[in-house]
Amino acid sequence: MADATLSPAYGEAAVVAASQGRGEPGWLTEQRAEASRAFAALPMPTTMLRPWKYTDVSKLVIDGYAPASAVPSVIGAAPQGGFAGPLAEAAADATLGPIVEAHLGSLVPATEGKFVAANAAQWAGGIFVYVPRGQAFAEAVSVTIDVPDGEANQGAVFPRMLVVAEAASEVTVQMRSLSGAAADLLASQVVEVFAGADSHVNLVFDVDWGLATRDFSTIRAKTERGADVRIATLAIGGAVVKQFVEGILEGEGSQARIRGVALGDGDQHFDFVTLQDHVGPKTQSDVQIKTALAGASRSIYYGVTRVEETGLGAAAEQENRNLLLSRHAKADSDPVLEILTNDVIRCGHGATVGPVDQEAFFYLQSRGLDRRQAMKLLVAGFFNSVLADVGDEAFREEVATEVEEKLAVAHI
Amino acid sequence: MTEPILRLKGLKASIADKPEIQILHGIDLEIAPGEIHAVMGPNGSGKSTMASTIAGSPTYVVDEGQVFLKGEDITAAAADERARKGVFLSFQYPTPIPGVTMVNLLREALKARRGDEMPAREFLEELRATLGRLKMSEEMARRYVNEGFSGGEKKRAEILQMGMLKPDLAILDETDSGLDVDALRTVAEGVNALKTSDMGILIITHYERILNYITPDRVHILVKGKIVKSGDASLAKEIEANGYDPILKELGLLEGATA
Repeated sequence: MADATLSPAYGEAAVVAASQGRGEPGWLTEQRAEASRAFAALPMPTTMLRPWKYTDVSKLVIDGYAPASAVPSVIGAAPQGGFAGPLAEAAADATLGPIVEAHLGSLVPATEGKFVAANAAQWAGGIFVYVPRGQAFAEAVSVTIDVPDGEANQGAVFPRMLVVAEAASEVTVQMRSLSGAAADLLASQVVEVFAGADSHVNLVFDVDWGLATRDFSTIRAKTERGADVRIATLAIGGAVVKQFVEGILEGEGSQARIRGVALGDGDQHFDFVTLQDHVGPKTQSDVQIKTALAGASRSIYYGVTRVEETGLGAAAEQENRNLLLSRHAKADSDPVLEILTNDVIRCGHGATVGPVDQEAFFYLQSRGLDRRQAMKLLVAGFFNSVLADVGDEAFREEVATEVEEKLAVAHI
Repeated sequence: MTEPILRLKGLKASIADKPEIQILHGIDLEIAPGEIHAVMGPNGSGKSTMASTIAGSPTYVVDEGQVFLKGEDITAAAADERARKGVFLSFQYPTPIPGVTMVNLLREALKARRGDEMPAREFLEELRATLGRLKMSEEMARRYVNEGFSGGEKKRAEILQMGMLKPDLAILDETDSGLDVDALRTVAEGVNALKTSDMGILIITHYERILNYITPDRVHILVKGKIVKSGDASLAKEIEANGYDPILKELGLLEGATA
């Protein structure tokens, strides 16, 4: 791709013109201009950087991919004064605009990396979810991004979501990402979550991209006192899925729960990087990432539990389990603790990589299940601890079906 | 004449990873439909190897001889194939299956055994009845298989599966081990209640206690990988009274036989 034609859409002038063409407010145009300058100035991450050690993007040229349109559908009835819909519409709105302006890009600044800079300059079809103080969405907000095969066969999409949950509010967002099987699609996603005091925010990502799509996502949540944030990812599709999932626990007694599941086959490549940053006192975090890998797929996990000097009385769990379903599958796991105070309640971490338990496998065979049926049941059981309480019933059924269908043909 | 449910013909088996270690040195055995046979023997005699080999465990390889199920040679069949044909092994140490409920396992196992899905209503009725016979709660069936089960619960869960799957041959490998008297009685009564009239049962046991509740038609004594003596239920009583030593002595096997 090094000598590919670069898309003119990434230059500052083009970014500004596009923003103005969409009638975006001045502050947003300026934010995009700054992002485009950061994009031009920043280098691509190299494998010298620890979070990128096993995912080499040196040959990837982001601006070799022309931005493609991907307008997500959003279903979700907002409570009084709340909102779930297009980010651009909210940014231009007299009431919601200032809220968007105060938050967008403040948690994941465009200047921190090449991929997020590209997103900040280029996002279109972003989603804004806003829950006013004390309000709750009665049902989960359902977001679907679907890029079918066709015009975007070699393009880039920049999904963007901003969630602002005010004090004592509650919302669940389920996002599903789909693309055509042949689409050589680049997805660079940024999600920012602001969880107000005692709010409950629940995000679920069903990553079901086509097998030629590469996904680089940064999902970051910041919590105020007593907030409870849950983020879960199920990665089934995609050629490369690299996600940074981060909880910045600022408010006293706030908590973050991060769940990730990946089911790989062929030469799929999954890379999860998590951060549990305990800034405030008595904060709690719990990370559980589980992968099951068939074919020659591979997974990488690198996670940091950091307890800052101010994070007195923190409690953290970090766990990564990888099940190798084939001899050619591979997993690297590296959970890291950085504890800067003596006053922690508990700080656990664990990692395993290995094949299915042969005794359990024989047990199922002895009940008449053939190799594939036994594997299916073992993998479903393996994922169960992570998926059992993620999303709503319909979502769990959908996920179970996706896992089942994939394992029916996986190279095991 | 009817084919025996199980026939072992000169069965010799070794550990797959250590083929130089042969454990079964030629076993001949026939179980007719409806018969209960008990295989007893001191530790290290090869009882569990026998159970696992009949069930098709990949831990062991058959060096010589054959295993017939209802007249069909299943010596080369994989464990899952044998199970679908009607072999059931109640494990001595049932393995936990994290995240998989007993209901889930039973549905999958029944589907494999029957070749089609059992209607949900029929399944539920059958499950309730079988649980009842084993004095098990419905909650047990919703728990993950063998996870956090007590010794007694694990063995009851094995017999629950036997009752649901209705095998032609049930091998109960040390089903009595680790059970107190009450749990043993419940499990044994469960076996009696759930046994179908044509089912052949092979009880593998170190002690005769389970045989106080399930009366065997034949008792075989296994020593060093060979059946050295067979008899009726009274043979088990003999061992209960005097232990294995008199029999070993009589056969000139005492030395080195008590592994």
